[in-house]
Amino acid sequence: MSESSSIQPNLAFKRELSRLSGSQLNQCMQCGNCSAVCSLAPAERPFPRKEMVWAGWGLKDKLIGNVDIWLCHQCGDCSSYCPRDVKPADVLSAIRQKTYQHYARPRLLGKLVSNPAWLPVAIAIPVVVIIAILSLAGTFKIPEGPVDYSAFFPHGLLNGTFSSITLFFYLLASLGIGRFWKDMKRQTPPGETGMKRLPVFSVLGEILSHSNFSGCGSRKPGKAAHMLLFFGFALLITVTLYAIWATVSHHYPLPITNPFKILGNMASLMIYTGLGIMIWQRLFNRRVFGKSGYSDWLLLVSIGLLTLSGTLVQLARLGEWSVAYHLYFFHLVAVWFVIMYLPFTKLGHIFYRTTALLYARTIGRK
Amino acid sequence: MNLPTLIIGGGISGITAAVELAEAGGQVVLIEKENYLGGNVSRFNNYFPKLCPPACGLEINYQRIRSNPRISFYTGAEVKNIYGVDGDFRVKIHLKARLINNNCTSCGKCAEVCPEERPAKLGRTTGEKAAYINNGLAFPMKYCIDPDACAGEACGKCLEVCDYDAIQLDALSAEVVIQAGKVIVATGWILYDAAKIENYRYREEPDVVTNQEFERMLAACTREHKKLTRPSDGKVPARIAFIQCAGSRDMNHLPYCSAVCCSVSLKHALTLETEYPEIDSEIFYIDMRLSGRNEKLLKQAEGKERITLTKGKVGRILPPDGEKGVLLEVEDIISETKRQDAYDMVVLAMGLTPAPVAAELKVNEYGFYLPDQPSGMIPTASCKRPMDVSSSVKDATASALKAMRR
Amino acid sequence: MMEAEKKHMALAVCTGCGIGECIDTDKLVDAAGEAIQGINCIQHGSFCSVAGLAELNRMVAEKGVDRLAVAACSPRVKSMEFELDGVHVERINLREQVAWVMEPDHEDTQMCAEDQTRMVLAKLETIKENSPYIPDHLSSDILVVGGGIAGLTSALEGARAGYRVHLVERSDRLGGYAGRIYKMLPDSEQSATLKEPDLHEKVKEVEGHPGIEVYLESTIESISGEPGNFSVALKNRRVSELQVGAVVTATGWKPYNTEKLAPLGYGSPRVKTLEEFEQFVQEEHLPDRILFILCAGSRDEKHLSYCSSYCCAAALKQALYVREKNTNAEVYIVYRDIRTPGFQEEFYKMVQADDAIFMTKGVIETVSDTGDGVEVTVTESLLDDRVTIISDMVVLATGMVPNTTADLNLQYRLGKGLPEIEYDFSDSHFTCFPYETRRTGIFAAGTVRAPMDMEMSGEDGAGAMMKAIQTVECVKRGEAVHPRAGDMTWPELYMERCTDCKRCTEECPFGSYDETEKGTPLSNPARCRRCGICVGSCPERVIGFADFSINSVSAMIKAVNVPDEFEEKPRILVFVCENDAYPALDAAGVNRLKYSPFVRIIPVRCLGSINKVWISDALSHGYDGILQIGCKPGDDYQCHFIHGSELTEQRGENLQETLKTMMLEPERIRTRFVEITEHHEIQEMINDYVEEMELIGPNPFKSM
Repeated sequence: MSESSSIQPNLAFKRELSRLSGSQLNQCMQCGNCSAVCSLAPAERPFPRKEMVWAGWGLKDKLIGNVDIWLCHQCGDCSSYCPRDVKPADVLSAIRQKTYQHYARPRLLGKLVSNPAWLPVAIAIPVVVIIAILSLAGTFKIPEGPVDYSAFFPHGLLNGTFSSITLFFYLLASLGIGRFWKDMKRQTPPGETGMKRLPVFSVLGEILSHSNFSGCGSRKPGKAAHMLLFFGFALLITVTLYAIWATVSHHYPLPITNPFKILGNMASLMIYTGLGIMIWQRLFNRRVFGKSGYSDWLLLVSIGLLTLSGTLVQLARLGEWSVAYHLYFFHLVAVWFVIMYLPFTKLGHIFYRTTALLYARTIGRK
Repeated sequence: MNLPTLIIGGGISGITAAVELAEAGGQVVLIEKENYLGGNVSRFNNYFPKLCPPACGLEINYQRIRSNPRISFYTGAEVKNIYGVDGDFRVKIHLKARLINNNCTSCGKCAEVCPEERPAKLGRTTGEKAAYINNGLAFPMKYCIDPDACAGEACGKCLEVCDYDAIQLDALSAEVVIQAGKVIVATGWILYDAAKIENYRYREEPDVVTNQEFERMLAACTREHKKLTRPSDGKVPARIAFIQCAGSRDMNHLPYCSAVCCSVSLKHALTLETEYPEIDSEIFYIDMRLSGRNEKLLKQAEGKERITLTKGKVGRILPPDGEKGVLLEVEDIISETKRQDAYDMVVLAMGLTPAPVAAELKVNEYGFYLPDQPSGMIPTASCKRPMDVSSSVKDATASALKAMRR
Repeated sequence: MMEAEKKHMALAVCTGCGIGECIDTDKLVDAAGEAIQGINCIQHGSFCSVAGLAELNRMVAEKGVDRLAVAACSPRVKSMEFELDGVHVERINLREQVAWVMEPDHEDTQMCAEDQTRMVLAKLETIKENSPYIPDHLSSDILVVGGGIAGLTSALEGARAGYRVHLVERSDRLGGYAGRIYKMLPDSEQSATLKEPDLHEKVKEVEGHPGIEVYLESTIESISGEPGNFSVALKNRRVSELQVGAVVTATGWKPYNTEKLAPLGYGSPRVKTLEEFEQFVQEEHLPDRILFILCAGSRDEKHLSYCSSYCCAAALKQALYVREKNTNAEVYIVYRDIRTPGFQEEFYKMVQADDAIFMTKGVIETVSDTGDGVEVTVTESLLDDRVTIISDMVVLATGMVPNTTADLNLQYRLGKGLPEIEYDFSDSHFTCFPYETRRTGIFAAGTVRAPMDMEMSGEDGAGAMMKAIQTVECVKRGEAVHPRAGDMTWPELYMERCTDCKRCTEECPFGSYDETEKGTPLSNPARCRRCGICVGSCPERVIGFADFSINSVSAMIKAVNVPDEFEEKPRILVFVCENDAYPALDAAGVNRLKYSPFVRIIPVRCLGSINKVWISDALSHGYDGILQIGCKPGDDYQCHFIHGSELTEQRGENLQETLKTMMLEPERIRTRFVEITEHHEIQEMINDYVEEMELIGPNPFKSM
């Protein structure tokens, strides 16, 4: 006889998931249609049917640290075919959101980016920190002459402070990721075959090729949108790294004809397109997406603003706009928002999903 | 003077209401839109829970109709409109042109010489002629001609052989007005359109059939003493899947439960088990819903080696992998495994919907008649809510009493 | 018995539909003339046509015919056409059972047609004038027993149709179970708002209806008599007498014996049944965690094998009570399958809209009271393989057990109540006839008949009332009720020869016969369903119907010309039941399935109506074998006379003794069963049997 586990129904957690997902998740009748139509559910103990009943009982322990919710790429097939319209895709997304918060240290960080009430504080922190840095450097004023952002925020200082702050945030996050790994191992122990070596390259291949998106029937443009964002982002990071090198080697700012500059603007275009598709889908494909929540919009809007402000900052420099430094300041706040808060927002999936995929493939779960 | 009660629909419920009422002394006019009485059940293979032939009870009821002078009936008749009030309705009825009249002796010569065939449909005897009779136990026992399949006077072969002046290829439709005191509406059910469940590929895969089609296939096999074969290539299937809640309990289709399909699929599986021992069945369900004594169908099925019951709604049907047949995708919830399995045939346990409205009555959002209607109008049985034969007969009997209200 | 009056017999031979091509009808007419002196014969190409019928009617009028044999198609077709006023018509089935199934223009076929004609003519000669049986003191009143929802609806609907109803209730108030509940399921399934009970309105209407007499705190001392004329002794404070025409019993149900539910924790004050909780919720404060266990005792071979049908929806309803009464409460529901058929599915969904109601499928392993709560261990749950849920109170959705119908105190030889079909429910055995009762004129309604919910109980009460009224009306006209509806003949007993052997009283499936202390049968013809099993049972051959008697069948048997053994033309007598086997034979004809021309067919009301004397008549007349084909017996029997086929099998065993003493092979009598759709099987059955008899060889009594 198997060990009997005591069930602690958690109504508060259930309601939280219900609120975050906009799903009447209690109306699930456990038919298993979701697991059946899912193109990613593994043959053994497939998802998301079992997650739905756990959510229905608010079984937090079984949901946080669950590897399967990360195998889901939220294509929405389960939701569009759900006979009770309980939106399993959104429920899994809500569980993921609770996961970012759960592993966030300090906890306040998790709260900061998940609760709209905390939004002013979340904005205030980068504003105050940037003002503090600039005040200490003594450059917190609008410089005279042609637009030169380094006159406002010297490149060396920018690179130094922003890099170290990012590093600090990511260090905090890595502690959470470590606990996440342990939790996954406890909840989904490796089977008889045991753990394999970390299949880093194959997982990287999965991520780059977006192969997990291909089986989806309900959200065909989803793959393209995610690819545009993903590679747009990757390009921007590459361009940014090149730009940092350029500031060190002193041929910054780059002329508009510099291949990297062109690449950067192309990346922006890719992100605009991808975002456009995503926003359009969230607005007009409710059957699949249900009600998009705060975290969804926070992510989309902050990425949008980051990219937009970046484009404007560039135009302002070339066009000698009077609001150039205001835009630049705004852009820096946006960078903070997206990059530093990253592990604690929905964008944290970059880390969590990668980790979960690595774990899943290590124990042979596919 | 008491006017007769008009009963719309000559299926098992309408027939029951008619005989029950007439035997209690009431005058009854029964109308049926098809050419034969019996409705859906007359094409069934068997009833649950006893797996007995519907023809048995129908025969008794037909005998009750034959011997009762208070019942008159029209076949090929449809209601055009109803006006009037309780106690004094006038119902206009359209009588389809019957190309064979009452002189028909059912000798069958017309069918013998008829060169045209009705298009093959599942459950329809292949090679059925344009001049045909439902089956050896049809009522009324008269041939009729399918105007869509008949070549008309140009052919005229049946005219030559009929010794009884029974064939009138140029017959016209007619209209009659019937005065009635009460109206019982027993128009019954039709299946939900299986093609609307796109992920079950009903339209694309010949080996995906509805349970009604399957029932008729089984009935044809019983009648003609032949093996059950699958539509695509005529092979005897080795493995048949039954998909429960095809359309029912589904917000995308019919939110309600169709109440009979679990019993029907178990009946099918048990019939296969006894009559076609070379065939394995597997039933995929969400909840097994059997009420009262019908629970024993489930008990019986659980004990059979050739019947598998799997909890899990089938997500989708995929085209076959080379061979004929189809693939199903489903989570077996009890063993928590997701399967992609091949079957030779799939039977969709389709949801029930009300037959098209025959009278302007109050309906719910799915088109089923509400129990409360203008005085004198009495909806009964499966046009009120999905129900099985026994409940329908029960309700029809109760409705007959309502028609006797003073 | 009175000598039958002078008969004017006629034979009409139809030559249409292939009969004329198959049989020499002139020779047939000659044969008829030889058999019956002075019989009027007429032939036509189609008697069912306007011209044919006119000619027939002219002949009937001219010759003053009062008995007519129509040799044409099966009596199952063209039945209206051959109903002639004042004429007893018998059909000779030359079409479906001769011309369509036998070699045309062949001497054996011709012999068969002639024999079948002679048989029916012989029968016609024996038929007696029938005067329908109508009880002397007729009552159209209906007795309804039980004042719950089924009884109330039944009474009300009966009264609305203009019948006087006597409603008897054991307790001091009407309403039954439905009258004690806290709230009802919503009218609209798409709402989770429960309805205030509205039964008191129905109760008021019943109490105020001039056509309904209510007897509270009353029980039934006895019911005797027959439909149309039941005497009911009612015990209130004193005994009073009622006369009613029919009875509806709707005495409802009781919860499954809780003592047997100890494994589910019953006995602890924290464990209640649905019924107890229905009261508890109205009186006490509810704790914060309540767990419902569905199928407590139902769907379990160790307890109740059936599904009690009402409990899923009732438990969901009570979950809403909990939430209404204690907004902090959490409800846990452990189910096996949620059974909310039809539109109840939407109620299920609406209940789930309350997220403090937690549900999982699972199998209950243990329920234990820990002192400050109840610990329920569930296996095969959806949450995990084996889980423990802690709650403050457990509600068991206990199953439904029917109350007894024995409190009707029927003064019938076969028992005080209605026979129970399965699991103690007094249900009908037939899918197509849910009110087919084994005690004519007495109908079960509601949960005493089958597990059902309140809505269905009401409908059921109305249906049963309809059948009760109908029985009264049929009795008034002197007609039988279903399945031989309209039959006006009835079993008449020639008591002088009765030896009080009790066979008829024992074998009548409907308890038509009471008996005196001595054992003399007392016939109650209005209880009779005209199956004729008593005709078959009587060793003294004293029971008969006007058109179906020992004599009529004997005459048919003897009307057949049996060729001697050297001609190698065996004769097989086939008794077929009119319900299934006869239509199956017709269907074989429609499908032109050929069978042996050596058979001579006699339709019977039921296989059980076959009397032993016919068998010995046939054997001594020289038939080589006797095949009896009836409806399927067994657990899922299809015989509407319950055990007609089974009786025949039993009697067959006794007949084997007779065969042995006659030094005849046991195979000469064979009983087989068919379903109505088995026309292929019946063809094989006949041909196989004929072949077998040919192998065995001729009956040695043939030329004696």
